[in-house]
Amino acid sequence: MTHHPKERPNSLSRRVFLQRGAGAAVALSAAGPLLAACGSTTSESTGSGGEGPGGLPLARPDKRVTLPRWEDPIESGLEPETGGTFTVFNYPAYFYRKLLNEFGDKYGVEVQVTPFDNINSGLQRLASGGVAPDVMEITPDTLDIGVAGELIKPLNLDYIPNLQKNIWPQLVDPFYDGESRYTVPYTCYATGVAWRTDKITEDIAGMDQPWDIFWESQAYEGKVGLLSENRETIGMALLRKGITDINTEDPELVNQAVSDLQELYDICNVKVDDLQYQTVPEGSSWLHQAWSGDMIAGYIYYLPKGTPASALGFWRAPHGKAPVQNDCFAVCSTTKKPVLSHLFLNYLLDNGVAYENFVDFNGYQPPLNEIDPGTLVQEGVVPEHLENSVLTNDDLGPDSLQYGTLTSQGQQLWQDGYSNFLAGGGS
Amino acid sequence: MYRRWLWPASALPGVLWLVLLFVVPFYAVLAVALGTVDPILFQPDPIWNPLEWNVGWLNEVLSRLAPGGIWFEVGVRTIVYVVIALALSLLIGYPVAYFTARHAGRWKGLILILIILPLWISYMMRMLAWVNLLQEDGWVNEFLMFTQVLSEPQDWLGGNHLTVILALVYGYIPFLILPLFAALDRIDRSHLEAARDLGASPWSAFRRVTLPLSKTGILGGAVLITLPMFGDYYTPNIVSGAPSTSMIGNQIDLYFHGGPQPTIGAALTIVLAAFLTILMLYYMRTIHRAQREAGTVGAL
Repeated sequence: MTHHPKERPNSLSRRVFLQRGAGAAVALSAAGPLLAACGSTTSESTGSGGEGPGGLPLARPDKRVTLPRWEDPIESGLEPETGGTFTVFNYPAYFYRKLLNEFGDKYGVEVQVTPFDNINSGLQRLASGGVAPDVMEITPDTLDIGVAGELIKPLNLDYIPNLQKNIWPQLVDPFYDGESRYTVPYTCYATGVAWRTDKITEDIAGMDQPWDIFWESQAYEGKVGLLSENRETIGMALLRKGITDINTEDPELVNQAVSDLQELYDICNVKVDDLQYQTVPEGSSWLHQAWSGDMIAGYIYYLPKGTPASALGFWRAPHGKAPVQNDCFAVCSTTKKPVLSHLFLNYLLDNGVAYENFVDFNGYQPPLNEIDPGTLVQEGVVPEHLENSVLTNDDLGPDSLQYGTLTSQGQQLWQDGYSNFLAGGGS
Repeated sequence: MYRRWLWPASALPGVLWLVLLFVVPFYAVLAVALGTVDPILFQPDPIWNPLEWNVGWLNEVLSRLAPGGIWFEVGVRTIVYVVIALALSLLIGYPVAYFTARHAGRWKGLILILIILPLWISYMMRMLAWVNLLQEDGWVNEFLMFTQVLSEPQDWLGGNHLTVILALVYGYIPFLILPLFAALDRIDRSHLEAARDLGASPWSAFRRVTLPLSKTGILGGAVLITLPMFGDYYTPNIVSGAPSTSMIGNQIDLYFHGGPQPTIGAALTIVLAAFLTILMLYYMRTIHRAQREAGTVGAL
């Protein structure tokens, strides 16, 4: 039986919070004063004409949002909790086990990872009480659910000095979470195209519109894939047509993008999966929509012996035209170790830890000041021709393209569109 | 009095099991499908009172499944896959069950163990093993090229309908063979001998005696494998991954895996369950009729 969140012990405070700050019927124009009533501010405009979950304003790279704190952060100067287990709620195999063990050894806890399939389903499990982790991974476009649902706790940055010290300025005070009230950044990446240079003959990077390669891939039927994420697939089809509002809620635009994607059934019998970091290096996929970290991870781990690094290609659109994102970590409301959870967030932003996690394990770049593309190439971490897989602070600026939270109706529109694409047509 | 309640009471554990693990969860799915969604967390907000049920999601699902709806093709594809997979399973499974029941002799036990053996390994692992075998440079292609069945490697994993159907057959066929074997093994050989004494050829005896008497086993096995096949989503995911080979279970998976409309997933589950209930009713009616006929024969 589903344990409804309204039945949770803290439901009263949540309801009060919502009534004060963000009732579903509250007009957007009222959001600022209402959020102020929660002891918060919205420092810029409140989004692009709609409300996210709980009536929270929709953050966009050029529309910064500072989220209301639904409770006070923990006090400064407390000692970390020790003993027992410390649970990280995350994608499986997205954090180096060795580093988790070292953290556990340092603070006398056993660190365990509870995996989720995706962040949305993870948040639903958290809300249902099915899991009780200490910290979790979250993304900017799901952050509103975590805050409005009181699933994550406000942070006390006194415990997280590495944020100011080591992290790119764009993400110390990010547009989606002004003052870093709830999150710290974990990894960052851009979406582009990955391919096998020994199989694909086209000069993808030299094409007028490189996204067109998917619509010109008849010769590679069965070897072409897209990411299995509704925002990424539909967003890519929008960008191909020159529509840079990748958070649009215009049904006409979204439906046209879905219709364009459906053309790919007959063109290349397109597949959808998130295994491109493995299938492209191994050669079972030749052309795949991909995140920038995939080819770095693929180069490090999955390239078969005898296959040169030059067999991997990656393209992303220039600055301001490529979708970029970052993953974050937050402290869960269910934690019994709030101080230690803060210290974990500080730990993952440590230069050495973040770099080792990147280079020796997941291939996804942390937004560290000390990482720059040239150095990574010089050190042999990244092959020269994959230098464009490495992001810089400027890539995440106000003119960047980032998938943001949609209104409830917008999310339905995109999910139904993706469902239509996934249904596979009448082949 | 004590004896009057003793035997009915022995059914209590089974009834409790049915109520706790089927009736209650099914009612919960119904309450979700006909309920609402929490606007913040997108958690299903079940409505337990049938008088307050909201049929909007159910109507939405039915309209998507109707001709012209966005799920019509995937619904038809699912039915076609399952029907072909069932036919292939019967074509392969019946002779295996027949041989085991009639001709295996002292090897019967060993053959049954061999049929069950793959079930000791998880379904997922078995399918992943097939992914390796079906690679372009995998053993399947190597064998087919060695035997000159193929002149060049076939892309089995590139979104191939046949691969998905064969994977379904492979995954579920043991569940067909076992009830079939049980039904065939139960057939009294004197019926066959009587048919032969009356001049029936071996084929005629099979067609007019063995096949009708194994009908309950065929239907039982068919029900056992078609029910999970209809809801399957991981088989097409693992051996294909192409939308062109997706099944209706993939849509349920999509809507239950996050997003603002878990009720759509629940409503689709209900519609699928209703469809499968029709198959179940046919099976129960056939079983009932077979039992009645057997009773009549026994009385004679």
